[in-house]
Amino acid sequence: MHRANATAPASPALVGAYPAGADTSPFAAGSPHHLPLAAVPSAAPDDIYDEVAYAYDGTLEGLLSAIFAAYERHENPTDVVPESRLQPRLGQRVAAIPTNMSHAARVLRGVKRACGWRAAHAVKQASCSDEPDAGTAAYRFVRYAMDEQKRRNCERCRKRSSCPGRSGAGPCPKMRGRALSDITHPAVERLFRISRSISQECEHLRQFVRFQHLQGESVGDDTGTEVWFARVNPKASVVPLVMDHFVERLGVQPFIIYDEVHELAGVYDGGDWHLVATAGQGDLARALPDPTADEALFSEAWRTFYRSVSVDARYHPELRRQFMPKRFWKNLTELQESPAALRTARS
Amino acid sequence: MNVIEKLEVLADAAKYDVACTSSGVQRSGKKGQLGAAHQAGCCHSFTPDGRCVTLLKVLMTNACVYDCAYCVNRASNATVPRTAFTPRELADLTIGFYRRNYIEGLFLSSGVAGCPDRTTELMVQALRILREEYGFRGYIHTKTIPGTSLELIDELGRLSDRLSVNLELPSKQSLGLLAPNKSRHSILTPMRHIFESVAEDKESRVLAQRRTTVYREKRMARKTRAFAPAGQSTQMIIGATPESDYQILNLSAALYTQLSLKRVFFSAYLPVVADPLLPATDAVQLNREHRLYQADWLLRYYGFNVSEIIDEENPFLAPDVDPKANWALNHLDFFPVEVNTAPLEALLRVPGIGVRGARLILRARRQSTLGEAELRRLGIAYKRARYFITMNGAYGGSGIDFSRDALHARLSAPIEGGRHGRRADRAVQGQMSLFEAADAPPVLPEASPANRAALDVAFEAQRRALAPAAPTRAMADGAGGERRTALDAEAPHTRDESPLHENAPHDDDAREPLLSVA
Repeated sequence: MHRANATAPASPALVGAYPAGADTSPFAAGSPHHLPLAAVPSAAPDDIYDEVAYAYDGTLEGLLSAIFAAYERHENPTDVVPESRLQPRLGQRVAAIPTNMSHAARVLRGVKRACGWRAAHAVKQASCSDEPDAGTAAYRFVRYAMDEQKRRNCERCRKRSSCPGRSGAGPCPKMRGRALSDITHPAVERLFRISRSISQECEHLRQFVRFQHLQGESVGDDTGTEVWFARVNPKASVVPLVMDHFVERLGVQPFIIYDEVHELAGVYDGGDWHLVATAGQGDLARALPDPTADEALFSEAWRTFYRSVSVDARYHPELRRQFMPKRFWKNLTELQESPAALRTARS
Repeated sequence: MNVIEKLEVLADAAKYDVACTSSGVQRSGKKGQLGAAHQAGCCHSFTPDGRCVTLLKVLMTNACVYDCAYCVNRASNATVPRTAFTPRELADLTIGFYRRNYIEGLFLSSGVAGCPDRTTELMVQALRILREEYGFRGYIHTKTIPGTSLELIDELGRLSDRLSVNLELPSKQSLGLLAPNKSRHSILTPMRHIFESVAEDKESRVLAQRRTTVYREKRMARKTRAFAPAGQSTQMIIGATPESDYQILNLSAALYTQLSLKRVFFSAYLPVVADPLLPATDAVQLNREHRLYQADWLLRYYGFNVSEIIDEENPFLAPDVDPKANWALNHLDFFPVEVNTAPLEALLRVPGIGVRGARLILRARRQSTLGEAELRRLGIAYKRARYFITMNGAYGGSGIDFSRDALHARLSAPIEGGRHGRRADRAVQGQMSLFEAADAPPVLPEASPANRAALDVAFEAQRRALAPAAPTRAMADGAGGERRTALDAEAPHTRDESPLHENAPHDDDAREPLLSVA
């Protein structure tokens, strides 16, 4: 699949902001007609306009492997997208990038070293996003940030003598936090926006996860352990990013947060947490055990509380919808009809 | 009454407490213990009025011997059923809710059952069960009752993250009139005590952490809980009494500077019980509350001084522009500000640039020069900011006369009140409506100096009650007098007679603030 690209890698300043090949094109800079034939680089025209899309498996490691592959193959992919979301452009070559854990670890370590942990976190967040261009944004950002490292000017730096960057031992510490703060740069802006929307979605999950207390599945004499179960429907696959938060505060109870959109469950067993992909196993909620005896009591109490704390004279539903988008309502205990009320309504 | 019915009554009774935040303390989780707290807090739900539900906000009991005119739980209100949680019920409910991620913790307030100390002891009991028996590490906000002994407040402070004492009303006279059982003394004493205890606790903690020698220091024998690590807050009612925004903002500025309050909450007056002393109008001063909160934010986050926001000549905030824009319009000589070089303090003065926007600008301009496109990309309100900034020398608002009137027209915007509630724009202002009488409640003119006369009508009863010298007040105001004597017989020890009645002023306009800027 891989074809070595004969053209030189694009100039660092422009990578990320422009499609591959645009700035290396001999026709871009001056008037093509006056160029002698020998001045045209030896690459064939189809190589100059060669567009490649990298397809990864949709995981963080896959995304990082794709970034690694771009450097390894000296290519500048136009798109870095998960396989499931891939829509090749006209004339675009698709390269499937196999996930390689050690490559992924190297890229993540490199990003952390060169651009700081915030940038590494932003890349992680981008891998959770459902936006089709999230992978591309992360790739472009890494390219840009790494190139910025190379382009730095150490001439007037007072720490020149002791800088690890100067000797080539490591990145410049002054540049580290800077890559992500150049927010108006097109290579950074997109990742910044994606990162912010993922942070917001994480906050929504922290706010609107509602656990139900379920009985343990009894096998023989063993009544099994009770479990706290929550169903969520976030816009991005952020369950892995919020598990730590819930483990910290609810560490005394084993729980499952099930993302029904991305078919992913975060499972905490009382000691450690894991992610379980549930794709192809049908609706997980059907296989759930019954709620415990006090579950109905507490959810009813919560509904009652929610009803009675509202001040009618201040009624302002637009404001509520703004803070608590309607897409979350179906999984919110307080906004569901109580089972008792439903029963009376039916009869 | 079962727990759910109790919850319904006691949550309903607590809903007029506006303070509901879970911020100000960072506490990590601990293995084997339930709960943690985050600096920024977390809202877990939003009620149909758009307010956040972050804590289980309930009263310990809604039985109350006090008779505050504005309060739904006043002793003379026979329409509400009275009930109380047992400490155990309350603790179990909190834990059950917390485990389901319904809430961030507990907000515990109470009516005065018998005497303040007894009520507080009940609250302490509930908190002890939560903190010590259940090892709960979530957020607890406790409302202290005026008149509680300082020892009990110490105990409450060690169990809670935030304490608050309600100021209720902005001036001494209004307080004496509408909340006869509370006084400036009984409110400010616990506030000062909490302020001192928090400061002392912080200091001792800093000292304990600082290593003065190279040797390892002996650890403290037993770790005590921090005293109210999230500080204290307070709240007052807006619009039940005729105090101006000038008085209210000066009072809150004094609270921030002198008592280090974290928040001062404002609660637009809602008529829940009828009282001859209260304005009979049904209008809610929500827009006024909104402007006051905007001014409050300027005090806390934007580095504004209270004298810059409001002055005695214009004692009400402008209803049509927000206080920051109003300041900008009055100080056009300060503008335009160059976004690429101006310091943070100057950026914060620009209408349309908030705290977040200003910080982003500082961050982004280290590497690139900011122009219109960049500013828009940063997400600041360029539409408003453009008249007050230059971008690398280029003025953003060209085409518009740089004068107060022209810019005022650009910046004035009605407060977004939603399409359904009371603040919904039913008709364009000045347009006649067929349904005016039936549809819109009589509006109390707010924040407009021209309408002071109408305000005077609304507060006529209060004016009359305050007019005679204090000792004769009971005779002058029949209903109020009876109520107070009845109460005296009931709970004589809760009355705090001292400062109120000897020197009640003859002039109502000279309402004395509870605390003034030094």
